[in-house]
Amino acid sequence: MSESRAATTQTKGTSGKRRYAMVIDLRRCIGCDACMVACKAEFDVPLGVFRTWVPYKVVGTYPNVKKQFLPRLCNHCEDPPCVRACPVEATYQVEDGGFVLQRYDRCIGCKACVAACPYNARFMLPKHRTYTAITRVVDKCTFCHHRVSQGLVPACVQTCIGRARVFGDLNDPNSEVSYLVSHFATQVLRPEQGTKPHVFYIGADRNHTEFGRDVYRRSEGLELDRQSFNRNFKA
Amino acid sequence: MGDYAVFHQLAWPAGYAVYFFISGISAALFFFSALSWFNEEYKPLRGSAFKLSFALLVLGGVLLVVDLSQPLRFFYTLNPLFWNLRSPLVWGTILLVLFGAVSVGYHLAMARADDKTARLLAVAGSVLALSLPIYSGFDLAVHQHRPVWNTPLMPVLFVALSLVSGAAVASFLAKGDARLLARLRQIMLWTAGAVGVMLVSLLVTTAYGGAGEELTYLLMTSGMLGVVFVGLGGVLGTVAPIALLLAPMGRQAAGLQIAAALLLVGGMALRYAILIGPQIVQIYF
Repeated sequence: MSESRAATTQTKGTSGKRRYAMVIDLRRCIGCDACMVACKAEFDVPLGVFRTWVPYKVVGTYPNVKKQFLPRLCNHCEDPPCVRACPVEATYQVEDGGFVLQRYDRCIGCKACVAACPYNARFMLPKHRTYTAITRVVDKCTFCHHRVSQGLVPACVQTCIGRARVFGDLNDPNSEVSYLVSHFATQVLRPEQGTKPHVFYIGADRNHTEFGRDVYRRSEGLELDRQSFNRNFKA
Repeated sequence: MGDYAVFHQLAWPAGYAVYFFISGISAALFFFSALSWFNEEYKPLRGSAFKLSFALLVLGGVLLVVDLSQPLRFFYTLNPLFWNLRSPLVWGTILLVLFGAVSVGYHLAMARADDKTARLLAVAGSVLALSLPIYSGFDLAVHQHRPVWNTPLMPVLFVALSLVSGAAVASFLAKGDARLLARLRQIMLWTAGAVGVMLVSLLVTTAYGGAGEELTYLLMTSGMLGVVFVGLGGVLGTVAPIALLLAPMGRQAAGLQIAAALLLVGGMALRYAILIGPQIVQIYF
């Protein structure tokens, strides 16, 4: 047996510390968007922005077509470019657990972290919010740090009806995520960026997770939608 | 049908390009004012270039602060306890503050006719001034996932853009001084030539890059952004003024100032396209 394959320990962080990760089994995702709704409810995420979202691509040739879903969220990278980019350490990494979190009261709104994130996981909170006073600072998924520290799983994992999302400690050999990562072929998004993401996918086809030509030849409908978004979304 | 499309925000909009433009000109004008202590030909620029440099520095600082979504928290960037020294933005803040302080000292030394101090501050200020476009370049270059930005060319390109735009503005402050205009013409020619060479290099390496690079190349060379980048920035703002400066007309004040105006248009267009273009692919990821 060759030992030359890069070991998964590369992504496990400090020995003896917890390292939370999410495994998303795309074979189980039905695109119901319940995770998006649960996340919105958990954090009062305003209209127009998302901590987690479920884009899809239609793959195949008619009549044999299907929607390939790819749930997205902050990857809570081992080497997060956003933490590196923030000038005032408003974003930071929790050593025990690996959560990448945001100090809202310190964020100056320079958007350096938004520019630095290869996964579009960060967004500027708009002025309008229903119940929460935190506005006009950068926000992102926290892996539901407040729930996990109470022994619960993130809201999106709790609500996923297909059990496509699994959450746990990679450093715990008995956890389900450890089992899945060690027994199945998993993929991460944009591995070439060297961020060492902690969101693993089972069944992600890289042909569908990379930039496609449709970025250059965008449909008229998509452009109209974007113009409307730009008009109505004022951060 | 009926699906909700999730859109991502452009992190750094056009306002940053204006800041890059203004701070680049400010830095180069200070450099020309400082040169006047070592080369008599630049003496007509000493006062006027410095004053405009300082005004643009203040304007650039205001633009930066206003662009923050929490402008009053700008002061956090001045607190060493909050500094993240791995972020180029922190270095930018430190350099801007130091450059501003040295500029004030330089002004006071000139007002007191203290030539020795003014000369020393001119050297220190020049180093700080040229570090402004260098930091701007690194500000973009550190984003490992952005085509065009993530190249070692960025800091050098921003220094060249700063010098060419600054020399163009200085030609309007030269008040027809023939010797000074001849110097500025040389600076404009060489730096515009350097910008042109770097643009070609950037375009070729981007066109032959990976999927993101190739798409960015396509986006930056077609449509409205293509008009701005290739048309205004490359042809009208770089090639045309070089041709004009090489022609006999370019040696006369009027021709030189037409070339200078074109270089300013090109400088702004290039900064805009280089800032916006590499962000487009990413927002659709």
